[in-house]
Amino acid sequence: MDKLGQEWVSAAVDGEVEGQAMADLAADKGSHDKWRNYHMIGDAMRGELPDTINLDLSARIAQAIDDEPAIVAPNIQVTAKAEVDKPRGNVVPLFKQFGQYAIAASVALVAVIGVQNYQQQGPEQEPMSVLSTRPLVGTASPVSLQTGPVQQVQSGNSNEQVYEQRRRLNTYIQDHMLQQRLNSGVALDNSADIMPEHQH
Amino acid sequence: MRTFLLALLIAAFPAAAQQQELSAKAWLEHMSEGLKQQQFKVSLIHLQADHIRPLVYLHGKVDEKEVAFLEHLNGPPKNAVRVGNTVTFLEHDQPAYSVLASRIQGVWPAAFSDEISKLERGYEFVLGGRSRIAGRPGQMIRIIPKDSTRYSHQVWVDMESFLPLRYDLITDEKQLVEQIMAVELIVLQAPPALLQEAAEQEWPAVINTAERADGQNWKFSWLPEGFEVMVRDHHRLIGSQEAVEYVALTDGLVNVSVYVARASETPLPEELITRSGLSLVTENRGNAEIVVMGKLPPETLKRIADSLRLDSQP
Repeated sequence: MDKLGQEWVSAAVDGEVEGQAMADLAADKGSHDKWRNYHMIGDAMRGELPDTINLDLSARIAQAIDDEPAIVAPNIQVTAKAEVDKPRGNVVPLFKQFGQYAIAASVALVAVIGVQNYQQQGPEQEPMSVLSTRPLVGTASPVSLQTGPVQQVQSGNSNEQVYEQRRRLNTYIQDHMLQQRLNSGVALDNSADIMPEHQH
Repeated sequence: MRTFLLALLIAAFPAAAQQQELSAKAWLEHMSEGLKQQQFKVSLIHLQADHIRPLVYLHGKVDEKEVAFLEHLNGPPKNAVRVGNTVTFLEHDQPAYSVLASRIQGVWPAAFSDEISKLERGYEFVLGGRSRIAGRPGQMIRIIPKDSTRYSHQVWVDMESFLPLRYDLITDEKQLVEQIMAVELIVLQAPPALLQEAAEQEWPAVINTAERADGQNWKFSWLPEGFEVMVRDHHRLIGSQEAVEYVALTDGLVNVSVYVARASETPLPEELITRSGLSLVTENRGNAEIVVMGKLPPETLKRIADSLRLDSQP
């Protein structure tokens, strides 16, 4: 590639070369690197370079085109194999994965993450507590007891007591949730549960 | 397209005329029947305060047995399978276990597929308006408590299949506590392959609830209208191993748990409301601590706690 040739490539990059000349350039493989480099220099000067530059792009595209028939053939094999496997892999593993365990009865749907006691102004009003809960996608682990800010309004309560209170609340809520599951098959007990003599 | 719509309109017309005769109770009874008899797939969202949970529920009949499958779509796998009267919970963090139940908890309230007349003791049914949900026309039915001790319920029933499309739990102040809404309902002609698979699968044996130790003879001097005792026992709380006396109450739609335990050194708050609508009330009586919990206003739970008595004559 002589100096004239280099100028020529440079001109082609800037779009100043006729169609026929472009075809000649395309045939000259030695110029391809320069073509790419000039483009990159131009991009750099205009500040249009991407964050990562793949210097080998044109070579890789050419490679990919060369390899194409070789890539297509194994692909077909792979999909054919997947088709064969599909009916077997569809449903069974889902159940197999869980279905063979023994009995357990632990449940945790909600964990208490913080108790906030909002003290009302008037002395006649009961303090109203609002419990923040979040549904847990696991068991209510002690982690939940350590996270989340605790607003402590009641005086004299140590942090430990607050944690203990929350832990106890958690166990009650968990048990309530578990009972929902255990009791749903129970028929109603129709014996008189209301003692008439104490009727309000 | 236009002719298709026209044909649809004509086809739907006799059905619509027939439905106008239905009472609110009849709608609910059709819904209950539909939930038991029909084969369908419904995609749902469950809304609770600031949580939204997407679910899929499948229901079908395999060999005359009801088979259902509930899947939580977000987060780690959490599924439940029902075959006949057995419900198996499949969760990522614990071995699968089965309980005796006629319904999978966590979709529509269990009462919806039960005898609707059981609800009449505590609730009245009132026809509401119509609206479109999940692309289907829905008839709204209000389930209003007879006394003001409870939240009220609203359900929208699909006018074609009678399956529920939406369920709201609302407070007296019209605030939404909980909502379940269908986003897609597909009525099927045959049970889906997944349910057939489930029906043939071996599931863990049912936990024997008959082994539960009998509780004391707890009585209530007052309960909201329609509430009954479902279970009495004593057991230990999971996690803390604390021994408690336990009574489960229900009016068909709402479940309440009553616990009596030895008073602790760290007292629980007297009154709590969780953002999921669950409330908890604690009362100390002597050296005992009474905890009442359920999706009821805390004032009602307090009254239930106050009315608890121990009947010495069994």
